[in-house]
Amino acid sequence: MVIDSQLMSFFTAGSLIVIGIFAALFLDNLIKKIIGLAFLADGVNLFIITMGYKAGGIVYIFMPNMTISNFAQNASYPLPFALVLTSIVIGASTLAVMLGLVIVLNKRHGSLSASKILGDKGE
Amino acid sequence: MIEYVLMITTVLGAIIALMQRDLLKAAILTGIPGISIAFLFQFLLAPDVALTQAIVGSAIVPVFFALAVLRTRREEETE
Amino acid sequence: MNELIAVMVILPIASALFLNFLHEKDRTIKILAIVTAFVLPVLALIAPFGTHYFGGYVPLAQNMTIGQDLPALITNTQLFQFHPGIVYIFNSAQQLLIFVLCLIAFLAIFTSLNETKRPSGVYAFLMFMGTASISAILLSDDIFNLFVFFEIAALAQVGIIVASGIKNNYETALKYTLLGNIAGPLLLLGIALLLGLTGNVNITDIIYSLKHGLVNPYSPAILMALGLITFGWMYASGLPPFHTIKSAVYSKALPHGAALLQAFSVFSMVAIGIILLRMFSYIPFTKTAIIGISLLAMVLGITMAIVQTDFKRMLGFLAVGELGYIGIGLGLGTAFGITAGLFQAVNEAIITAFLFIGFGTVLYKTRTADTRKLGGMMFVNPRLALLVLLAGFAMAGVPPLNAFQSKLMLIQASLQSGLPELGIIMILLSIVTFMTFMKAFYTIYMRPKPADLKILDNKIPRSTIISMVVFLIICVILGLFPQLATNSLQTLAAGLV
Repeated sequence: MVIDSQLMSFFTAGSLIVIGIFAALFLDNLIKKIIGLAFLADGVNLFIITMGYKAGGIVYIFMPNMTISNFAQNASYPLPFALVLTSIVIGASTLAVMLGLVIVLNKRHGSLSASKILGDKGE
Repeated sequence: MIEYVLMITTVLGAIIALMQRDLLKAAILTGIPGISIAFLFQFLLAPDVALTQAIVGSAIVPVFFALAVLRTRREEETE
Repeated sequence: MNELIAVMVILPIASALFLNFLHEKDRTIKILAIVTAFVLPVLALIAPFGTHYFGGYVPLAQNMTIGQDLPALITNTQLFQFHPGIVYIFNSAQQLLIFVLCLIAFLAIFTSLNETKRPSGVYAFLMFMGTASISAILLSDDIFNLFVFFEIAALAQVGIIVASGIKNNYETALKYTLLGNIAGPLLLLGIALLLGLTGNVNITDIIYSLKHGLVNPYSPAILMALGLITFGWMYASGLPPFHTIKSAVYSKALPHGAALLQAFSVFSMVAIGIILLRMFSYIPFTKTAIIGISLLAMVLGITMAIVQTDFKRMLGFLAVGELGYIGIGLGLGTAFGITAGLFQAVNEAIITAFLFIGFGTVLYKTRTADTRKLGGMMFVNPRLALLVLLAGFAMAGVPPLNAFQSKLMLIQASLQSGLPELGIIMILLSIVTFMTFMKAFYTIYMRPKPADLKILDNKIPRSTIISMVVFLIICVILGLFPQLATNSLQTLAAGLV
């Protein structure tokens, strides 16, 4: 294989992070900003998962027909995966909070534009 | 080879979702990077995380966005 | 094992979840919340010092029943010493910090239950959740556990802002979450880089890997992790560039909420600052960066406080400015300097909570926070005015109150480290702080009452006055006997150098 798939996966995660930060900072629509933040969280999760990947390895589940040394030498690193499970759930819950706030603000201002809602109050 | 296709879909899907003027379309399209990342997790030897991401990324998050869009407004304002 | 260490985090979470389900049962909520909030500081005092391994996962070296059959590949290497589970460390410094945090939480909850017309289970839920997560951040020796509680604390803070019902609070809450959702994943990215390099999320093990050359301690990825974790630190504590949003957060919460929120910022600043020092103090740039950020926070916070017309906003900026003193103590990097910084953190958390609750009585009586519309409050209740004045004296560092001792220690520490400029800046900014406070105090309390100011006829609850008196007593005790606090903090500070 010419291109390393782990390296490409890191690049994918990096581009998701960049796209997410760009959208969160420069797009005016609040829903779009939050979509960008969801991509940012996805990108970081992908980054962590890619770190635990082992090229040509096996899944980190210990099956009865494996030997310990074989498992230890070939399995991918399971700690990052455990972290990502928590991180996905945290991401989804903060997303719900933000969307709830956006719904309330849209009712008050009749707009979804960040510059109209958040700007020009000097706060 | 399939993983490269998934990586390209992830990035392109993210960009296309953010380029929509119709917010409901943008909300639904967030599912594309979500589900491609889930398949990528499977490829990266993390089947349990892939399962969670498949549910959260391709169903729950787009539905959250779609509900928020339906309760606010559909079109992005242009100045 | 020391189960009580875990109980310090589990008890507030459990009672928070339980309170959330109680609805319309006002008396039950009140009794349960006050009892739990009272138990928390007591728990911090009686819990034995030590280490708690969650799930009983001790390092292999300490668990001989598993350890004896393992091959030499594992027993001869550091794998044998590494911590497989989440670890909480509880020592004298953590005891003092958690005691002060839980005491402020108790007094804030006590005040809020009596000031609001109907006690709300959800509001108490948010306050307990925040307290639990900051306690966990202080205790945790596991950097991912820290991230989880960082996010929970951010959500609880947003909830406290939303619950206040003050004008424009939703806008501030959304802004704070948007920034938090950039800072949170970036902090996680920093943690991920450390995890990828060292294969560990336990701070002690990461430090071992860095110090013993298992990884290159100057690799660019480590420096990037340092930058990203510092970014999360700045967000959690409200250092620049987050000082404006943080002071807005304080001003959009109810006074007792703001008293608790600033304690959250102070203690998360201390906790993550200690972690940064523990892991990265070998990089000379770390301490310089901490001092630089702190100086910026001090100057920006205090100068922006002068021009505010809303006294809650003014207090918010002063609170951010005072954070700079803590940061300078940590950034000096000597044992004496770090002790002084931690002592200043304890003092600042108490004094700012005192000030927020004290000025909250003005809000309670008049329903306005605009200093241009206020005046003559001295004649409404002179004793309260005296208490607020003493709080202001404490913040500016007037002897014999507590901040005098810690600011004196900070100035001595900066002289010892060969940076007398910092001492001069700290003295100057203390004078400016005092001036800002006196200006606000004069306009609110001493000048003649404006004709259109309506003072409501509601009586200030006795619990508010009790809370303020308790804060004053602690200020005086720590001012007269600073060794009560510094003795507990010295061990931690000496371990960081």
